[in-house]
Amino acid sequence: MNGTPDSTVGLGRRTFLARLGLLGAVGAGGLLTRETLAPQAAAAAPGDPLSGVVEALRPVLAELARDTLNGLSVFTMPGPDPYSRAQGTPSDTPGAMEAGTTDFLIDALDNFVPMPDEVVRPVATALATGLSDTGIALPGTELVPAELATLDKALATVLQGDATIPLSLPIAALLNLLATQVNPAAVNGPFVSPFARLTYAEKARAFALLEGANSDLVAVLDVRLPEPLKGSVSGLLKFVGGALIEFATFGSYSEYAVFDAKTKQLTGRPVGWRLTGYQPDGPVEGWDEFIGYYQGRTEVHD
Amino acid sequence: MRDVIVIGAGGGGPVVAKELAAKGLDVLVLEAGPRHDKPREQWTTFENDANNPLTGYLRWGQQDRSKPAWFREWSQNSFMWQLSGVGGTTQHFYGNYPRAFPGVFNDYDGPDAAEYDVNHRFPFSYGELVPYFEWVEETAPVMTAAMGTREEVFFRGCETTGLPVQTTKTTHGPSYRPQENAILQPGGTAGRTSDPNLLSYPQATGCTFCGYCFQGCMRPVGAPRNQYAKRSTDNSYVPMALTADVWARGGKPAELITDAFVTRVHTESRAGTVHATGVTWRDNGSGEEHREDAAVVVMAGGCTENPRLWFNSGLPNPNGWVGRGYTDHSFDWVVGSFDTYTGNPKGTGSSSRLDFPPYGGMENVGVPPALNAFATTLSDSGIRGQYTNGRGMTGPWDGPAGRLMGPDMKELLAGGLDHVLAILVITDDDVEAGNRVVPSALPADENGPIPKVQFQPRTRSARTRRNREFMARKTAEVLRGAGAKSVYRIDWAPLLLHVQSSMRMGESERDSVLDSDGEARAVKGLFIADNSALANSLGGPNPTLTTQALATRTAEKIFRRYFGGDPWVRSESPVVSTDPRVSTRLGELGL
Repeated sequence: MNGTPDSTVGLGRRTFLARLGLLGAVGAGGLLTRETLAPQAAAAAPGDPLSGVVEALRPVLAELARDTLNGLSVFTMPGPDPYSRAQGTPSDTPGAMEAGTTDFLIDALDNFVPMPDEVVRPVATALATGLSDTGIALPGTELVPAELATLDKALATVLQGDATIPLSLPIAALLNLLATQVNPAAVNGPFVSPFARLTYAEKARAFALLEGANSDLVAVLDVRLPEPLKGSVSGLLKFVGGALIEFATFGSYSEYAVFDAKTKQLTGRPVGWRLTGYQPDGPVEGWDEFIGYYQGRTEVHD
Repeated sequence: MRDVIVIGAGGGGPVVAKELAAKGLDVLVLEAGPRHDKPREQWTTFENDANNPLTGYLRWGQQDRSKPAWFREWSQNSFMWQLSGVGGTTQHFYGNYPRAFPGVFNDYDGPDAAEYDVNHRFPFSYGELVPYFEWVEETAPVMTAAMGTREEVFFRGCETTGLPVQTTKTTHGPSYRPQENAILQPGGTAGRTSDPNLLSYPQATGCTFCGYCFQGCMRPVGAPRNQYAKRSTDNSYVPMALTADVWARGGKPAELITDAFVTRVHTESRAGTVHATGVTWRDNGSGEEHREDAAVVVMAGGCTENPRLWFNSGLPNPNGWVGRGYTDHSFDWVVGSFDTYTGNPKGTGSSSRLDFPPYGGMENVGVPPALNAFATTLSDSGIRGQYTNGRGMTGPWDGPAGRLMGPDMKELLAGGLDHVLAILVITDDDVEAGNRVVPSALPADENGPIPKVQFQPRTRSARTRRNREFMARKTAEVLRGAGAKSVYRIDWAPLLLHVQSSMRMGESERDSVLDSDGEARAVKGLFIADNSALANSLGGPNPTLTTQALATRTAEKIFRRYFGGDPWVRSESPVVSTDPRVSTRLGELGL
């Protein structure tokens, strides 16, 4: 992408970037400094004036995805961490943060979900470009229009570039958009991700929207997609709504965080085992659990 | 040029391979996934390492686990638990081998005959299949399951229902019983000690109650492959097929090629009739394509992949029924919380059941922590206490149906996983044309266009929905009777574990793909010999025994129709798959 970024950006666009969680990542205390986005800084960069911003944006997007998935992880298994406290369900026993659930999700989503790029890219682009005008009023942000425009263009560049889009990014965008639909005030607060700022009940409402057959979001996405993908994505998103919960919970209660793939041994006791009392002395060859045959019958015949 | 090419080494294909290898035919078996020939090195007992659908060693993907799994499209909240690899889904199954209910065959005239899926019955009698049931039951072998505490708790609940105990192989009416399962029952020290130093073969034989059925059976440690307790086909039929020369007079060992994905079935026209002539497969590692011809091709890639291969090969589909009529037992999941020890998840995956024809049935299920977590969060009814997703049914369970998650799941498990008992609700579900496999519009993978699986759980037939509600209520009552202090109904979204009938045989050529011999109506020399060939969902019984009995019968039909041979099941005695000649030969082959 060439040329100087436009100096203006619509209110809808500003709202949208805030809802994604991006505006929370910029500015005072944020992951991306305002200086990086300043038009003069961009213009002064050699070659592609946006490239510096784009490179600065990639790790910010990754961090935004991680923060969002932290919010999802503790939704499945709360523990003694700040995310669980923010959702209003603190717990004395270890939870998903201790079980490595966020790493489990990112590893799976970015490296192993065999979702073709031909699907991920239009979904991600639709999420980032198609939902600006949904009429949700948000508190104002401190970014000036020119900075916003730079950020917006950098985001478009990331999404339209040749590099594979990590699936964790559109998933995080989806959850943050739903979060701000449930609670617009979630654009501001602790953490980077609006979803991570929700209460447990609000997170449930976000998933209710995702799973609901009449979700506006699902409908909007479908309309934005080209044939022959149109009609496929709404079903996929319903699947995603269920799968995110099921898969995250599976990971939370599994040995993921303490499994050494090289030795195929555990380096500690999995959180899920501690919480459930599963095989207190580790893996077994068998149990002394045989107590006989029902009514003494060892075979049947017609 | 082979005599027979079998596509897929799952629950059904190896049966045809073993039977025809025993008759001296030249049989090639092509398996899309890996061969786990050294499970003690390749497997563990850990749930994520084993069962993660994306990365686990039991997944739907190629041998190289650093490569992504194969993507399939689901157009709804659902999960289809496909596995590649030798053994297919029998690698993680629980080994339950109940016979199909007599009411699903075309000669049934019991008083409840009209209550079954009468439009989609088997095109022959129950009695026709009995010799094949018996043949498989002796080969596997099938035994009456032993009890652990989990079974004792389940039976305590069953005893409050007033139903009788079934003491026959055939299910004649509502009743409960230990499973008839394809698991070698505990012998020696097995089941009687937890000391690993005392649990090596042959001091221990059969099931050691380890609780790892879902992670793949490789116990007792030190046993030959064909003496492992659970009779997944990688432990039973595949070893027999590969050693047919030592246990069958005139037998010829089948050849098995793994990591080999069949992408096309070839045909030619002979006097106006389409005949199968062979297949093309792709080596997953190198990407090289291979073609081989055969007199007969047998599809056994499963309920989703067989239709896909059919579509991708451009085979004729004159009545439009390829991929239709998919049944899944419309499962549900009900969990009880107890003040006392339940034995979960020790022992076999499931050793007791209650059948309730013509509604379906239920079975107790042992689940380790991560699988328990998955199973209690897979729901079409939202999150319990938060939202119902338009459902959230109420009944003899506590509160509305829905996911039990977050703080609620922690609370449920605070008393220990071994104070919980889960029961799988099994529905006798109807064959419906709209539940089907279609070509996906999403991008193809390296093996061609991918399948899309469509299920409409909320609009299933009135009979299917009635049966599911009936069995969910019965299940809650059994848990109450067993002493559960709390009972939770999850209202599962479709979980495709028992899959049947997507390439069904049937009485009418208007709504079936196969004739009553298991041969495709539209392509001669092309047979189907896995769960997809079943005419219906069997009334609810787990499908493997009936599939293997039918595959045995199909092998006879192939031998007779294309090789001029005589049938054998009614005149010979089967060799049990644990036969020491098989063990010795496997040792010589380094397997």
